Amino acid sequence: MRKTYLGLTGAVAISAMLAAASPVWAQQQSPVLDAAVESGELPPVAERLPSNPLVVDGESVGKYGGTWRMGMRGGGDNGIIVKTVAYEGLVRFDHEWKTVLPNLAESWEVSPDAKEYTFKLRDGVKWSDGTPFTTEDIAFTVEIYKDPNYAAGSWIDSTTNPLTLDVIDELTFKFTFEKPNGMFLENIAGTDGLHITSLQKKYCGQFYPKYNENADADAQAAGFTNWALYLQDRCSWGFETIRFSNPDLPVLYGWVIDQPLNANAARLTWKRNPYYWKTDSEGNQLPYIDNLDMRVSESIEELTLLALNGEIDFQERHIATTVNKPLFFDGQEQGDYHLGEVIPSSSNTLVLQFNMNHDDPVKRELYQNKDFRVGLSHAIDRQEIIDVVFTGQGEPFQVAPRPESEFYDEELAKQYTEFDPDLAAQHLDAAGLTEMNGDGIRLMSNGQPAKITVDVISALRPEWIDILEIMQLQFQAAGIQLELNNIDRTLFYDKRPGNDFDAQIWAGDGGIEAIQDPRYYFPFSDESVWAYKWVQWYNGTKPEIAEEPVDWAKEQMALYDQVKAEADPAKRGELFRQVLAITKEQFPVIGVSLMPNSYSIIRNNLRNAPESMFNAWLFPTPSPMDPVTWYFE
Amino acid sequence: MGLARCCPTLDPHLPLDGGGWEGVNPQKNRIFGRPKSMVQFIIRRLIAMILTLFAISIVAFAIIQLPPGDYLTTYIASLSSTGEQVDPRVIANLREQYGLGEPFYVQYFKWIGGILTGNFGQSFEWKRPVTELIWGRLGNSMLLEGMAVITMWLIALPIGIYAAVRKYSLGDYLATVGGFLGLAVPNFFFALILMYLAYTWFGVTLGGLFSPGFENARWSLPRIWDFLSHAWAPILVLSMAGTAELIRILRANLLDELKKPYVVTARAKGLPEWRVILKYPVRLAMNPLVSTIGWLLPALVSGSVIVSVVLNLPTAGPMLLRSLTTQDMYLAGAIILLLSVLTVIGTVISDILLALIDPRIRYGGK
Repeated sequence: MRKTYLGLTGAVAISAMLAAASPVWAQQQSPVLDAAVESGELPPVAERLPSNPLVVDGESVGKYGGTWRMGMRGGGDNGIIVKTVAYEGLVRFDHEWKTVLPNLAESWEVSPDAKEYTFKLRDGVKWSDGTPFTTEDIAFTVEIYKDPNYAAGSWIDSTTNPLTLDVIDELTFKFTFEKPNGMFLENIAGTDGLHITSLQKKYCGQFYPKYNENADADAQAAGFTNWALYLQDRCSWGFETIRFSNPDLPVLYGWVIDQPLNANAARLTWKRNPYYWKTDSEGNQLPYIDNLDMRVSESIEELTLLALNGEIDFQERHIATTVNKPLFFDGQEQGDYHLGEVIPSSSNTLVLQFNMNHDDPVKRELYQNKDFRVGLSHAIDRQEIIDVVFTGQGEPFQVAPRPESEFYDEELAKQYTEFDPDLAAQHLDAAGLTEMNGDGIRLMSNGQPAKITVDVISALRPEWIDILEIMQLQFQAAGIQLELNNIDRTLFYDKRPGNDFDAQIWAGDGGIEAIQDPRYYFPFSDESVWAYKWVQWYNGTKPEIAEEPVDWAKEQMALYDQVKAEADPAKRGELFRQVLAITKEQFPVIGVSLMPNSYSIIRNNLRNAPESMFNAWLFPTPSPMDPVTWYFE
Repeated sequence: MGLARCCPTLDPHLPLDGGGWEGVNPQKNRIFGRPKSMVQFIIRRLIAMILTLFAISIVAFAIIQLPPGDYLTTYIASLSSTGEQVDPRVIANLREQYGLGEPFYVQYFKWIGGILTGNFGQSFEWKRPVTELIWGRLGNSMLLEGMAVITMWLIALPIGIYAAVRKYSLGDYLATVGGFLGLAVPNFFFALILMYLAYTWFGVTLGGLFSPGFENARWSLPRIWDFLSHAWAPILVLSMAGTAELIRILRANLLDELKKPYVVTARAKGLPEWRVILKYPVRLAMNPLVSTIGWLLPALVSGSVIVSVVLNLPTAGPMLLRSLTTQDMYLAGAIILLLSVLTVIGTVISDILLALIDPRIRYGGK
């Protein structure tokens, strides 16, 4: 039996019916396009829209016009573009980050073994240059992603679970995976899905030798060594920053580039895409807002002042720090904005990961000892840290799914979080750290004092150092010496394959998207620093240093393989809870406190913008909150 | 002697090359023998300049390579911090395309060989030839910092002269207090204070060099006006510490000179007081100012990086900082090398100027 997901929301169905019933319903467009249509430069809006446009409604029907101003951090900040403009994949998430909805694909079918995915594209969708978007573009994208000269990498050219593409007709195609891929839809509803809809065959094909035999000569004429570098410059993959420095690249976004991004750009600006394929339920072509203006600034101070001055219309990224919150709160009246709620996907302010694969056998044994970690966890006075560093925001929390997540488990989140020096001492004694030296530091089994050097990148989150300095005193009281090693990001990453660290610090990713990013729940990816060599055994990128994991980790890996193969979300959840049960039992990493909510700056005349939203990379808000339906009053 | 030597020890921004400025020191010239004429003097300076540049290029390239990893490891690290993950095969392909796996000396000779033919290489981050990226930025830097230097001199010269001539007067004390404050307050902090005051008092956001409409416009009177209405803040900030320093140096030097017998003689001969001061002692007291022209640019560029970041100025400083943190090595290398070239050229110019205004240096004597 095949399950069919008819990709139609209620609104789409109703509007499709209405549109069929009342053909007099004229489709509307922004007045800025009127002149171009009258002069014949652009076809009329009805011809630009697909026969079945995707209908997206905000709380209220908007009016056209205006510029949404925001700030980019320096030139390399493609994140903000993904989070505002570039989130247009085959499918998308709903506002609650729960359900997968149709986007460029109108409907899809999944085979029961979760190996075959058949998609039907929306008929009549056009790229921003007016060329139809068809399966040819999909086929071209798969083809060049699989070309080793094109340095893109994603699920499209994955070697662990390779896919093949069958083009059925102009609008229908099928992906067949070698192994079951139950979470495929959820994966491509996130940022990963932007790869497959990022390249147009007509434009990008001209840089590819297969479709243009002079590609190499053209590249050299343009000053590039070979066609591959030229192709990557003109048609970079997915959401690479360099894509946004080419205003000629056709896209499927709501806005197209006006002033491109480059190393000297003071701003990146966008104008509306006349071929955008979404409308509201009254048939008005989206987006409502005509232009986007992204100030390129290396200066957080400038961005903060712009927001305070009411010169930013909606933004959370970069400026919404804990320290700035009182400032923004007080400035609401003067700047004519208000603060919205932003729920981070991150579960924890700080994750302490001990290197369970340490080269030193004494340390390895100690770090793998659960009593050691439990003892240290009890030695942390979390409330003190919350009060001092986070002005009381947050609560003691382990590295666990957040309360907003379907996988929230109070016991997992709260175990060993109470501050109890006696209990800490008991556990540390049980871990074999019974002897002490004259400085009150416990001795390891080799007679050396228990000193942990912890790597941290304070440039990334300045509060990490504040937390660690408090923890240092608290650990000292428990007889463990903590040494802070504040280093550069590159060195931080280099130390992992070199296995040259006791412990590393990061934030608690996977608080909401637990099932997609379980890096702290079991050795899942290269980011599971606490078990780097075990990860290599499972699926890592450096098999030459792989080490066979302990049994419980192997059990989790086997369970997660089943999760990946399961197409039914309910069964998948059940399996993943079993993974988390082992996490709870084994307690691999130590957390400090629940990441407090952040906030967004919302100008008071901006309508339909979310008063509350999640913030994550896989759910790149505010994009999934449909900024194309926002408008200015 | 004391004059020419005073400033190197006072100035915290030592130049990149240790050799250039020492040419103003007559003793140093003994290495080359005593120059016979101005032309010989200049030729010697030029030869020294080329050798210095060659040495700088090696040092610059080595420094850029010092941090662990390369552009691609930085790239992976920055992606990971946003939760993004990169396929290692992508990285392997890119590393090959960029030629990052090659040994140091191969990379260096490719780089320097390219530069001799005018090719500074590609910026990894922007996938563009470096030469396309840097000129606008360097131009902005030179414009802004040139204006800062002029402002600095315009303010510092009269105040310094006044403070020396009217030693221990109220005005001297005010200039001294102001000077020490200017020296003590870090530039970036002054910039932050200015930004905050502009926001609270005038509701203006200071930042950048142009209003949105003028960023990509051609130069015209309104654009110049727009530029000036933005540029006053960075010019003020950038010139502050330098002004304070110049006042102190000028005052100290002039005080030395004013006591000398030739001043007394000039007075005794009945020259008007302003002429006595301006014609001889001020000219000599300017000596250290002229000898440091060459370092103004690098000092301002390196000293202004944080200010430029805080005020979001499109100058070379932030680009250098960013290219160093992302290990975009050809971009960073080009900026460092060009700054060094400018420094060395500046030093040669100041050597020549010094030789012109100070006969002791011209003839390499004592």
